[in-house]
Amino acid sequence: MKSVKAAKRLSAFIRYFVLIVILLMLLFPLYWVVLTSFKTNMEAYAYPPTFIAQNPSIQAYINLFTENAEFFVYYKNNLIVSGATAILTTLLAVLGGYVLSRFHYKWNSLVAAILYASQMFPVVSRMISLYGLMGKVHLLNTRTGLTLALLGAMVPFTTMLMSSFFDSIPRDIEEAAIIDGCTRPQVLTRVVLPLVKPGLLSVGIYSFLMTWDDYLHCATLIQSDALRTLSTGIALRYLGELSYDWSLVNTISVVAMLPMILLFFFFQKYMVKGLVAGAVKG
Amino acid sequence: MKKQMKWTAAAMAAVMAFSLTACSGGTDSGSTSQASGTAETSSGEKVTIKFANYALLEDAYTEFWEGVKTGFEAENPDITIEWVTAPYADIVSTVTTMAGGGDKVDMIFGEGTWTSSLVDSGLIIPVTDVLSQEYLDGFYENSLEASMVDGEIYTLPMYMSPFILYYNTDILQKAGVESVPTTYDELLAACEKISGMTTEDGNAIYPFGQTTASVAISGSAINSMIFNFGGEVLTADGQLSIDNDGFKQTFEMLKQLDEKGYTPENCKLKDLRNLFALGQLAMYYDQSWGISGVENINPDILSVTASANPLAGGSGEGASLLSTQTLFYCDNGDANRAACAKLTEYLMSDEVLGDYLNNIVPGYPTLKTMSMPDNPVLQGSLGSIDKAVAAPSVPAMNDLNLELCTLAQAVTVTGTDVDTAIEEFRTAATNIIG
Amino acid sequence: MAFSAAKNIRRGRTLTQRQGDTIFSVLLILPTILVTTVFILVPVVDSVIQSFLDYKMKNIISGKPGTWNNFENYIKLFTNSKLGPAILQTFLFCLIVVVAQFILGMALALVLNSNIKCARFFRSIMMTPWCVPTVISALIWMWIFQPQYGLMRYIVSVVTFGQVTDLAMLNSPSTALLGIAIAALWKQVPLSTLLLLAGLQNVPGEIQEAATMDGASARVCFFRITLPYMKSVIKVVLSMAIIENFKQFPLIWTMTGGGPNNATTTLAVLSYREAFVSNNLGSGAAVTTVWMLLMIVVVVVYNKFMGDNETT
Repeated sequence: MKSVKAAKRLSAFIRYFVLIVILLMLLFPLYWVVLTSFKTNMEAYAYPPTFIAQNPSIQAYINLFTENAEFFVYYKNNLIVSGATAILTTLLAVLGGYVLSRFHYKWNSLVAAILYASQMFPVVSRMISLYGLMGKVHLLNTRTGLTLALLGAMVPFTTMLMSSFFDSIPRDIEEAAIIDGCTRPQVLTRVVLPLVKPGLLSVGIYSFLMTWDDYLHCATLIQSDALRTLSTGIALRYLGELSYDWSLVNTISVVAMLPMILLFFFFQKYMVKGLVAGAVKG
Repeated sequence: MKKQMKWTAAAMAAVMAFSLTACSGGTDSGSTSQASGTAETSSGEKVTIKFANYALLEDAYTEFWEGVKTGFEAENPDITIEWVTAPYADIVSTVTTMAGGGDKVDMIFGEGTWTSSLVDSGLIIPVTDVLSQEYLDGFYENSLEASMVDGEIYTLPMYMSPFILYYNTDILQKAGVESVPTTYDELLAACEKISGMTTEDGNAIYPFGQTTASVAISGSAINSMIFNFGGEVLTADGQLSIDNDGFKQTFEMLKQLDEKGYTPENCKLKDLRNLFALGQLAMYYDQSWGISGVENINPDILSVTASANPLAGGSGEGASLLSTQTLFYCDNGDANRAACAKLTEYLMSDEVLGDYLNNIVPGYPTLKTMSMPDNPVLQGSLGSIDKAVAAPSVPAMNDLNLELCTLAQAVTVTGTDVDTAIEEFRTAATNIIG
Repeated sequence: MAFSAAKNIRRGRTLTQRQGDTIFSVLLILPTILVTTVFILVPVVDSVIQSFLDYKMKNIISGKPGTWNNFENYIKLFTNSKLGPAILQTFLFCLIVVVAQFILGMALALVLNSNIKCARFFRSIMMTPWCVPTVISALIWMWIFQPQYGLMRYIVSVVTFGQVTDLAMLNSPSTALLGIAIAALWKQVPLSTLLLLAGLQNVPGEIQEAATMDGASARVCFFRITLPYMKSVIKVVLSMAIIENFKQFPLIWTMTGGGPNNATTTLAVLSYREAFVSNNLGSGAAVTTVWMLLMIVVVVVYNKFMGDNETT
């Protein structure tokens, strides 16, 4: 009896140990960034490093807000582009996902395969052609062009994600609605859509988060600093060839990731559900 | 998703197969639209100059360039400057891809080493199409030589610099190094004295820094070091020429410096500037304008900073690579070219550029009428400019420079022996130059 | 099962209804297909075509189409010594990240699935790195790996009792790839954990309990019952990780740019460099084409390996 208890205690110990080690690995870098953002540059360059800021300073934040107006321009651009992409993506994903889930034509699996394969193609391989294409329709260096290109990148995965949400809605409801005299479009908008609201939210937030992460599309399609989004803007402006300003870089990192983290925690329920549904049931 | 996995391979293969048929079947390629150019503007109408400028993204320079825009537009109300920005490493590909989309810039601020590849890409036009010969006669000969491709001047040098040796007077004094090294042997002796020293807060001080990280500018720095040793990478007509003592000695020196732990490994220039600014680097090679990066991090360091002429090694006499910061022009019609000429003359004026070179970016003037910089840090290396030579350039200069970095990394961080590494370089370089 | 249900619906409807449905569904799916075709398939096909052409930046600028050059891009690619190492780096990176990600993710998922206190809370905060944009995560790790005053240098020197004091993770060819892999893991482990956890929660408790009643030890129970039960989830997690890391670009580009001494030049970096740094689009396209072919091979092998026993 005693050995069972000991074994239990040991297993608990191992479990907490694993938990703490992995969590530390995941979370300590974040603490480190936040910490560095409150250090002065000279303290940041001290070795051995200090684990608590000796002279906590919000100078880097003040500099960011007073001298680096362009940072907030990137921010605004990113909100516009990611927001628009998220809305359009959700719309297309709902339409396409519904078809994939509900109608089983011969070409259905082909479409699904195309969508799936599309996620695999390396972005680099598409950029030159995409550039020429956008040039032809005069959408280079515009937020519209960037949004469309990102839409293209997001639609394949989100359509399949959405179709898995539709899969979880029982068909009987639709059949009943059709017997009641509803047309197909009515079934979709009045009956099915309200049922997949969580799916809509998670697809929307997912594509928002993913486009917030974009680097290559913006780096290639946008040349004007006033139109850049966050990742590209940061990589291009604050990692200059002349010199580093680590304190500022860390401050920027904090300010740039905070809204995403908050967004995730706020909509966590939907996000987790969406991601799990998309992957597990797919 | 399971099912799709199976389909995926088929779909991808189909895409490839389709591409192949499309390819062999027709000549239609990924053609992009014809450069449309900007609308013709007759005189008196507003002209917009699209000016591609990476420096706008560098903190130390932003204010100057914004000032140029304000000042110039105030003088020329019918001309507007529109910035096109990308970071240093990406600005060339940015303007070329833009041109591919039918949108040519009018001017580019960049480096002399970009000239060949920009000429090759067909993007830029000879400077003589924009500015008069008389105006060009006012420039120093070697600065124009660095700007030529096939005897034609393709870029306007704004200011120039060799790679000079910066040193921290304080560290050298504490280490007991009495005179600044002038040869690589003296450098090794000085390094030995400095090695092992630490800063007040206990950080090790590196005796010497030379950039080798994979960016084109590091390649130029290594090229300059090869000149130090009296060697060369290319012949005057752009053929690969690496079977000279100077070339090999350069990499033997880099290897030796690395093995003794005298240099920080695989650094970009900005890493060296950072270390130098923090007093953790005693000496390093940089262009004259690199010091503004140092100043950005720690202005106090300037009081103990001085510069010296590049070192001499082997049979070399201390020659170094002349780098120029230049302006490139593209053709968007007569009105735009005329506007570019105006902007150039405005930029090159004593009030604008003279002020810039003295107060913002220490550099050596290319216009004969302009006086040498009075920046105290540069006084020790004023003589270096006469011994600086322009490197012959080939369209693939960028790639070649990157290969030089790879070679330097091979003998330092990887620890390959010099002969093997040079042979690897030969293969790669032959592939590039053809 | 779903399929037969669909059949039932169809059987019960008139021809016109079916036709109406067809039109309706084609209309709905058209935008998706259009967007995917225009923004993904056409550019990819275009890029494969370019790989057979002499196609440089100057073609783009002058608007001249590229010309067929007798596989020269490929010949050059296979004769110079860059492709082999790049393929090796790509597979090595992918392998390290996928395996480590699975092990760490599974360990964390198992812990969170056991009756541990505040599991939900831990599950939430664990997800934070996943929300951090890739470029930012690259910056964070560059800062941690900074060779002179970085945190990692300090930690390693403490852990090794001062034996290793000059760790410069990203500056040494032997450790640079590992450094990037750590940054990639940091961002990706949370999502795999989340998915594996969901998979674990789907394993019916009774089955596991029954197994323990039978006297199967915890380990045997895990390998014989839990893992097979989670097969579909595991398959998805692994395939997501393989795809993501096989084409990883911004992380590597920001952190090392492919250096030092090409130690982190993966196929992604090589193609970007050929196309956008050397301005040789044809040659860059040849790299991406080889890359895509390898991807096909990986997918086929993966499917074979995981056993394609359909459950539907």
